[in-house]
Amino acid sequence: MTTRCKPVILIFLFLCINFAGSPSGFSQPKKNVKPPPDPNRIALEYAVVCESIKDFAPQNEAVVFSMSIKRVNCFTFFEPVTETTFIYHDWYFHDKLTARVKLTLKAPSWKTYSTIQLRESDKGPWRIEITDPQGRLFKVLRFSIVD
Amino acid sequence: MGYLLSLLEGVRWQDLVDIVINSYIIFRLYIIFRGTNAFRVLIGIALLWFFQRLALFLGLIVTSWAIQAITAVAAIIIIVVFRNEIRSVLQAKNLKSILWGFPQKNILTPLEVVVESAFDLAQKNIGALLVFPAKEDLKEVIQSGVIWDGVVSREMILSIFFRDNPVHDGAAIIKGDRITEVGTLLPLSHRKDIPSNFGTRHRAALGLSENSDALVIIVSEEKGSVLVAKMGVIKTVRRKEDLLYLLEQHTGIAQKPLEFYKQEKFEISVMAVLSVLLVISIWLSFFKGMETLIALQTPIDYINRDPRVEILDTSVNSVSLNLSGSGPLIKSIRPEQVLVRIDLRDAVVGENRFAITRENISLPPGIKLKNVYPQSVEVTLDSPTKKAFPIQIDWAGKLAPHLRIVSVKLDPETIELIGRNRVLSQVSTVYTEKIYLDKINQSGTATVGLSIRPPSLKTAAGTKDKVTVIFEVESRIPK
Repeated sequence: MTTRCKPVILIFLFLCINFAGSPSGFSQPKKNVKPPPDPNRIALEYAVVCESIKDFAPQNEAVVFSMSIKRVNCFTFFEPVTETTFIYHDWYFHDKLTARVKLTLKAPSWKTYSTIQLRESDKGPWRIEITDPQGRLFKVLRFSIVD
Repeated sequence: MGYLLSLLEGVRWQDLVDIVINSYIIFRLYIIFRGTNAFRVLIGIALLWFFQRLALFLGLIVTSWAIQAITAVAAIIIIVVFRNEIRSVLQAKNLKSILWGFPQKNILTPLEVVVESAFDLAQKNIGALLVFPAKEDLKEVIQSGVIWDGVVSREMILSIFFRDNPVHDGAAIIKGDRITEVGTLLPLSHRKDIPSNFGTRHRAALGLSENSDALVIIVSEEKGSVLVAKMGVIKTVRRKEDLLYLLEQHTGIAQKPLEFYKQEKFEISVMAVLSVLLVISIWLSFFKGMETLIALQTPIDYINRDPRVEILDTSVNSVSLNLSGSGPLIKSIRPEQVLVRIDLRDAVVGENRFAITRENISLPPGIKLKNVYPQSVEVTLDSPTKKAFPIQIDWAGKLAPHLRIVSVKLDPETIELIGRNRVLSQVSTVYTEKIYLDKINQSGTATVGLSIRPPSLKTAAGTKDKVTVIFEVESRIPK
């Protein structure tokens, strides 16, 4: 029963992500989150912007995305994660913060992603800043939305 | 006392110059025109003007208007009626004597010589006419004779009226110590009551005395008598003392000469003081009698700014000044005379607040500051600094559906910009000019310029303004 329900919950969460973005992850309820984390206890292994996520892996990484794909994802993998904590995906369009997505991380390592749905007015340069609650910047990803 | 001090406080150097110049003008007019009828009428006009101001002050509007009209008409009448007198006064004096020549002492007629001469002529039965003009100009009344301009002496007078002299029939005009003209023809009297024994000479003397304020001495050829005609009255003078007395009365030098000069000096001094007092009273009525208030919008000048900082923002660009002063002074204010200056010598980068006080405001003399709004100004200063920014590509157009750009490298990856702190803090990324995807079908490089916004930002010295873009393209179709 538990095994069957998990993909349904994931799909539901995925569809709920809108322009403002919404947090997503491959697991866990949000209870027992312990702020603030020790910055040294988490490390960003890699982060990419991709067209889709499949089997816990980013698909079609790129720096330019067409409006036709409808949505864009920011996939991050943290290892190690020594305790449950959270990070932010800050989505900027033309230097203006348009979405701040809070994502939970759990030990010992964690893959998580955020998604935005694309609108016609979203064409142009974007960047995503991956930070912890203290504002420590892990990485900046830059891409563009085009026709 | 306090009122007097407040008056003196507002006195400008221009006011003092004004008073001095106009006092001098009035004084000079007195010196030039004194003793003439035109001067007496001028005094009348001045009195009219005074009463007009008084009527205005008392609120007698119609009276003031009527006096003003009369004064204007009277001024025109003076010029028309006394044109000859005015002309003769001005023509008789050169520019130096008009502007600053001090009146010379009146040269006194040697009356004793004249008296002796007249009785000498009478004794010798030689007819003569001696004219002593007073204040009125005789040019309109007599017919000019021969210019003589000789010093009065007994011999001179006798020789002029000697029978064989061609000019002995006319009258001699005596001004001061000189015989100015001889052989002049005097207007004849048309009176019917003149004694039958009076000849043409008597009628001429009487005619002139009727038409002017001159005194005429007649020496009768037939009777050997001396007569004096003045103000239309002719009478015989038997004694030399009587003639001398009449002449002294006529010329106004009955007193001793020294006293006469002293009196004249005193008169001139009094007139000089009166001129100053008159102009001061006029100045007071103009400049202190009409206090006027105005509101003037004045731009703020910022001075002594450190050249390394720039004014980023100010709360206001101009202030409203409420100024007071006399009407003419307020009307004569030019914008460049009113300055509001804020000294930025002690200002710091960031926000500064300055009070706008009297010390910051420069006003023309005689103008007072009543109020200023706003009473303070906030000035934000900023200094240009250098900061590095990441460069991001601004892709545009449409990439072929079977391709995707998987990675990009930039050379350089950052760029240093110089600008004001506040502007720099609002920038986080520098974008390239648009790179169009439509013609990209494989990996490659492109060189593109930067689109730096806002334009006030400049690239630092030695910084490239072009970026080399190395992009990697992959096909979505598996090989």
